[in-house]
Amino acid sequence: MRPFRYHRPGTVAEAAQLIADLGEDGAILAGGTSLMTLARLGLAEPQHVVGLAGVPELCGIEGNSGDGITLGAMATLRQVETIPPVRRLAPGLAEAAHQVATVRIRNQATVGGTLVHADPSQDLPPMLMVYDAVARLTGPTRTREVPVAELFVDFFETVVDPDEILTSVHLPPASLGVIAGYLKFLPRTQDDYATISVAAGLTVVDGCIDTARIAVAGGGSTPQRCREAESALVGGGTDVAGLAAAADLVPEALDPVSDARGSGDYKREMARISTRRLLQRLVSESAT
Amino acid sequence: MTTNLPFAIPEVRHEGPLKVTGHARYTADHALPGQLHAACLGSGVAHARIVRIDTTAAEQVPGVRAVLTAADIGDVRYGRQLRDMPVLASDRVRFMGQRVAAVAADTRQAAEEAVRLIDVEYEELPTLLDPRLATTPDAPVLHPEAEAYRLVQGARHAPAHPNIQGELVVGAGAEELAAAFGRADHVFEHTFRTPRQHQGYIEPHAAIVWFDDDVCHVISTNKAPFGLRQQMAAATGHPVDKIVVYNKFIGGDFGGKGFSLDEYVCFYLARETGRPVRSIMSYLEDLSSTAPRHATELTLRTGVTRDGTFVAHSAEVLFDGGAYGAAKANAHLVPHGGVDTMSAYSVPATHHRLTAVYTNAAPGGHMRAPGDVQAIFAGESHVDMIASELGIDPVELRRKNLAGGKTEGQDPSETAAVIDQVLLRAADGIDWSGVRSPGRGVGVALYRRKGGTGRGGVVMRALSPDRIQVITGAADQGGGTVTMIARVAAATMGIPERQVEVVQQPTAEALFDSGAGASRVTRVLGEATRLAATELSRLIAEPGAVFPVEVAQEVVAPADEDCGAYGALAVEVEVDEETGQIRVVEAVLAADTGTVISPLAHRGQLEGGFVYGLGGALMEELPVEGGQIMCGTLGDYKLPTSPDVPPLRIVSVAGESGTGPYGAKAVGEFGNLGVAPAIANAVARASGVRLQQLPLSAEAVHARLRQTGPESAPPREPGG
Repeated sequence: MRPFRYHRPGTVAEAAQLIADLGEDGAILAGGTSLMTLARLGLAEPQHVVGLAGVPELCGIEGNSGDGITLGAMATLRQVETIPPVRRLAPGLAEAAHQVATVRIRNQATVGGTLVHADPSQDLPPMLMVYDAVARLTGPTRTREVPVAELFVDFFETVVDPDEILTSVHLPPASLGVIAGYLKFLPRTQDDYATISVAAGLTVVDGCIDTARIAVAGGGSTPQRCREAESALVGGGTDVAGLAAAADLVPEALDPVSDARGSGDYKREMARISTRRLLQRLVSESAT
Repeated sequence: MTTNLPFAIPEVRHEGPLKVTGHARYTADHALPGQLHAACLGSGVAHARIVRIDTTAAEQVPGVRAVLTAADIGDVRYGRQLRDMPVLASDRVRFMGQRVAAVAADTRQAAEEAVRLIDVEYEELPTLLDPRLATTPDAPVLHPEAEAYRLVQGARHAPAHPNIQGELVVGAGAEELAAAFGRADHVFEHTFRTPRQHQGYIEPHAAIVWFDDDVCHVISTNKAPFGLRQQMAAATGHPVDKIVVYNKFIGGDFGGKGFSLDEYVCFYLARETGRPVRSIMSYLEDLSSTAPRHATELTLRTGVTRDGTFVAHSAEVLFDGGAYGAAKANAHLVPHGGVDTMSAYSVPATHHRLTAVYTNAAPGGHMRAPGDVQAIFAGESHVDMIASELGIDPVELRRKNLAGGKTEGQDPSETAAVIDQVLLRAADGIDWSGVRSPGRGVGVALYRRKGGTGRGGVVMRALSPDRIQVITGAADQGGGTVTMIARVAAATMGIPERQVEVVQQPTAEALFDSGAGASRVTRVLGEATRLAATELSRLIAEPGAVFPVEVAQEVVAPADEDCGAYGALAVEVEVDEETGQIRVVEAVLAADTGTVISPLAHRGQLEGGFVYGLGGALMEELPVEGGQIMCGTLGDYKLPTSPDVPPLRIVSVAGESGTGPYGAKAVGEFGNLGVAPAIANAVARASGVRLQQLPLSAEAVHARLRQTGPESAPPREPGG
């Protein structure tokens, strides 16, 4: 690993100024579970690293049913997994966080890091899409909001500008009523990246599906909403045939790479099966 | 002597407090005054002639003290037996990652920076990646100079083809074999494949080398210090008695720490600079350029009579030896365990041909029961496939053919009775005949693992009647060597264990030891300790004994020693017929492992062995594309962790006495052996899918289920 100079700003404004000044020589360090791994492999060689651990305004998770939930960029995945407002109001998100790697990694990895790193196999992004979450980005001259569903561009690439910092993610109150769940298909070890994983959220009114969200991780260069499958569900019933028909539309939305976790074809097929199984689970939960 | 031994009391690890408090110093924890840091340039191509190496820019990096290539040190070759591996590649590279140049610098960063600036011009050569093509007429010859290669000890038998690394042929002659097959009613032939797998130790390879006048000192992760000393002497020409190797704590081995690479590079860098030089591999280097388990193809043929009696068996075992034979520890240059395809059975005529060939991949090495893992996966799958074809229950087919079990007109031997017990206890433990829901099935594997062989000794010293030292040159790779020696010494002398201190000494002080491999430590050093302690007790009891009293004792366990432990692993699996995912629901391991000296270590070896086997069975593979290992971290090369481990029950079967102290047997390379075939057999009985290739991945099961289609689901093998 190449040596670098370490900067420790105390505010978002300081951090934003630093990364603007450093330009391409700088990298932002949140939990370090991605950046340090890349650096150790020689795949990232920043000369300057801006650590966000000392920026209090990026920490913490707040939420209630009236305002929605706000996750600070430096909130750890372990906090997302365990903090009562998330568990109570967005249990699907807590479930997805629980599925990330191991407790040691969850204690270190952050919400902001998992989004900005933009590894298409990460667990939180598809579930944040299901909750219609919106990311807040702060740059030198402006602050803007981008839905998580529109955040990702390609492998390890987002719409976040080099001089912007992702400061928080907001789950709007309207999204919190869904019955959401996460199915991570792990044919090797429990702490592995998913071969494919599916996040889904439904609202069921009088036996009829009123809203639907389906998003897949590991199915291509970015996590993806599967809008055709969602549309197929809305207005329909909760019978298995209908759920299966919607799940059948998921593989077409995907273009997974073949790797040690499975071939592209296998991942597509597992996305279909996982979606159907997850939808069945959510429907049965909605009935109780 | 075996009565009233205190071995039933669970042991307290003598070295445990040092390890859990972080005070145990592993190789990479050592820092010497003035020490330099090494980094090496690995080849970026699989097979090429080196046209030119330019180190000019590297030499200019501030802090760089030496940049070496083969032009500086010569074409120096090393190996555990066959000296075919260059310290630094001279005229050609033969695998991706092979070391081409080495740098020593004030900091690791400077060394790594310099490595980046070394410019090598290659002229690429045709690659040989498929071992099956190694001896075909068109295959490129990887080692045109092979005839000049030397063994560390003795002359090398010239192979029939220059791409053959090593060969071992054992068993019946052609005529006898043909006659035996002629007596069969059915002949079954099946081919199996196993991949390259990595040992998965956590501590990377590391070494520190320095010179004190003409004495070369080496701190190393190598688990066989005396072997390393001899190999370094053979390669470098430095006198063996002027090399001192210190190896105390090793952070995991599993066969991977018997082969050293950077000690040689550090030797030359230290000699060049006059300073201590330390090397610590990155895990990327450990995964891509050390010596993984050989990928193997095995074709097994067995002749069987109508009633299921095995009458003839042959096996062709082809090991992908990689670019160098240097990592193999025996003079045949093949993983010996390849002969154990049917070692739990009585077969009148058997024939095994083991061949290791050169390919443009990382050198094949040793990993927890080298060859046995591949052979037992193939053999025990083969037996179940025969049972399925003949419509005989797999347990019954095995019982019919147990080793020592069917001499005409005689009662089965004691051995056969023990194996039968081992098999039945495993089968009963898993409820072999129980009714199971769809998607579930049970499978079993039966095997024999030979005991440890090799040479080693201890010096025992009584400082006073109640203060005993045992001096050993053994390195402790985590198996509990120190504690085992102390327990044997204390039990033999009838004294409390706290009165025994085990002192690990470097090669210059201790008696020779073959090293912590081949499951030999308890057999050899335990027995040496028992004999030494017996003699020491006698000497200090003599009237007028003058302290200190010292006894030196060496033990040799011959390679042909007839001692083995039998194991049977039974598992229940559940196969998800939509995804192909295999879940092991439960496992039972029955074993006759003799007298247990350290109960916790013994259990740890069996349980840990099972988990190790689970990884090898279900997930572990070093994927190779165009000669490059496509796996950079343990985040990609997945090993099972606690949540992945199903309930495992261990059943001890009282069997024949072992040749270790007080009848102990080897267990270090035992618990992993039955896992892959037992699971493969259970999957076949649960789902009808017979996999003949490791790992047994969900996708492989899924592909086969889909091939046959849901309408024509394959028949489940009987008894599922």
